[in-house]
Amino acid sequence: MISIPAIGTLAANTMREAIRSKVLYTLLFFAVLLIGTGVLLSTLTYVEGERILQSVGLAAIRLFGAAIAIFIGIGLIHREVERRTIYTILSKPISRGEFLLGKYLGLVATIWLQVLVMGLAFAAVSLLAGAPLGIGHAQALGLAAIELAVVVAFSTLFSSFTTPMLAALFTTGLYALGHLSRDLRDLGSHSDVETVRLVASGLHRVLPDLESFNLTTQALHALPVPGSEVVFAGLYGVGYSAILLVLAVLIFERRDFK
Amino acid sequence: MSVSREEIVRVEGLVKEFRTGMGIRRKRALDGISFRVLEGEIFGFVGPNGAGKTTTLKILMGLIFATSGRASVLGHDVGETEFRRRVGFLPENPYFYEFLTGREILRFYAKLSGVAKPEIERRVETLLDWVGLAHAADARLRTYSKGMLQRVGIAQALVHDPSVVFLDEPMSGLDPIGRKEIRDLILRLHAEGKTVFMNTHILSDVELLCDRVAIIVKGAIRYEGRIEEFLGVDERSTDVVLSRVDPGLAAALEERFGAIGGRGELVEVRVAEKEVRELLDRALGAGANVVSVTPHRASLESIFLSAVAEAGARDRSPGR
Repeated sequence: MISIPAIGTLAANTMREAIRSKVLYTLLFFAVLLIGTGVLLSTLTYVEGERILQSVGLAAIRLFGAAIAIFIGIGLIHREVERRTIYTILSKPISRGEFLLGKYLGLVATIWLQVLVMGLAFAAVSLLAGAPLGIGHAQALGLAAIELAVVVAFSTLFSSFTTPMLAALFTTGLYALGHLSRDLRDLGSHSDVETVRLVASGLHRVLPDLESFNLTTQALHALPVPGSEVVFAGLYGVGYSAILLVLAVLIFERRDFK
Repeated sequence: MSVSREEIVRVEGLVKEFRTGMGIRRKRALDGISFRVLEGEIFGFVGPNGAGKTTTLKILMGLIFATSGRASVLGHDVGETEFRRRVGFLPENPYFYEFLTGREILRFYAKLSGVAKPEIERRVETLLDWVGLAHAADARLRTYSKGMLQRVGIAQALVHDPSVVFLDEPMSGLDPIGRKEIRDLILRLHAEGKTVFMNTHILSDVELLCDRVAIIVKGAIRYEGRIEEFLGVDERSTDVVLSRVDPGLAAALEERFGAIGGRGELVEVRVAEKEVRELLDRALGAGANVVSVTPHRASLESIFLSAVAEAGARDRSPGR
């Protein structure tokens, strides 16, 4: 049986670690700075200044969110093993799965808190510049948060069996591929060769489709997005993360901590 | 009539092999070891560096998996987790989250160990006091010395009031006062009826503290038993140092008791415990003075060293 209080304790401690880390504040500072510079960029054009401002802001949130997710996530488990802090924790009535889940949820909660701070900065800058704010922006930020949960799941998976350097390479690679997987499928579907079509479609199914979490265009142009599409994308993100975490637990449960 | 005590730890035919050299070769760290630890005893697991002590402890704590054999603690297979509510563990040179304070880390471990919420603060304060860290409770662990971290390690192992405690080199990094305090703490745990399993290579601590010991050398148990059995109670000898010994007496003593040693005017004779009275009578009767009488027994160190030498000889013997 899973111990919810133990997972909560581990998650809260992971959050506390991140919040007491200077790295996080540095990244957050630059993210807010970039959101703010949107105001400057928007003054350089006579047309669509508000849209440029918001485009820069949303891109900053997604990119810096991913940077934080990868930067902290890659060492999440590896650091515990390397510094041997895991020895005393696993000697308590905690399963390895609970440990991993607690660490994951703690980092996701930290990153969502960052998204909230960056989102508030974005809203403040938009209001100051007189740019419109609507439900579309909230949906875009919500799905950006789900995307980051998937990125953290990837970094947790890689961190559970490899070094931070390799985990960073794998996670960054999959982040890039995840944003191209939809294009890959579309390109493949135009091919005359059946095998190419099948491979492209197969890759799209296996790789994360991170573009399904990108509602930036819709938010900027106030295009309506059906609620079902947002819910589906959210479920897809949760399901994909769950599969990655199950894989991580399966690997982690077999490891010797020498 | 002897009262049968519960087996707290049971290890049977435990083998651990590590893969080395790109996973092709295998190195056997434990070679089918078996031993048991009984309720309420202080058990010393003794061996030189690299003998397999920490490997055994890691298997018992579920940190690594045995290649074959069985290990159980409190009647539960070591792969289970729930029984760890009753188990405390101090790893060798423990590491902790440096961003937390002493008080915060103990709260964290108390919560993980399932200590009831209203009890947490009381247990944390008690343990801080026990290990002498109350004055530094609100300082971050990154400012702690090695000795202070060792004390945090002991406090976290006891914060949930476990019935069995596993300590890996508990005196490591401590000054003489700290070592004395930890020895007292172990004796206090013993008095409370807790079972203590201690990995160590400090033999004087083992002699002082342990009820039973097992000596492990190169992944195999060489001896296991009560400490008195090791030290050969019936084979005690005594060193007697005499002065003002004339040559006639010296020759008589040598003839009766074997080789005698000397330092300046002093003459040293080693005799069996039962021969002490006879020696003293003869020496005093011949006008010699008695400088000292020191009971001498085979130390754990000599047994330990002979076990290591025996293992070395076995490795070098033909056919291996």
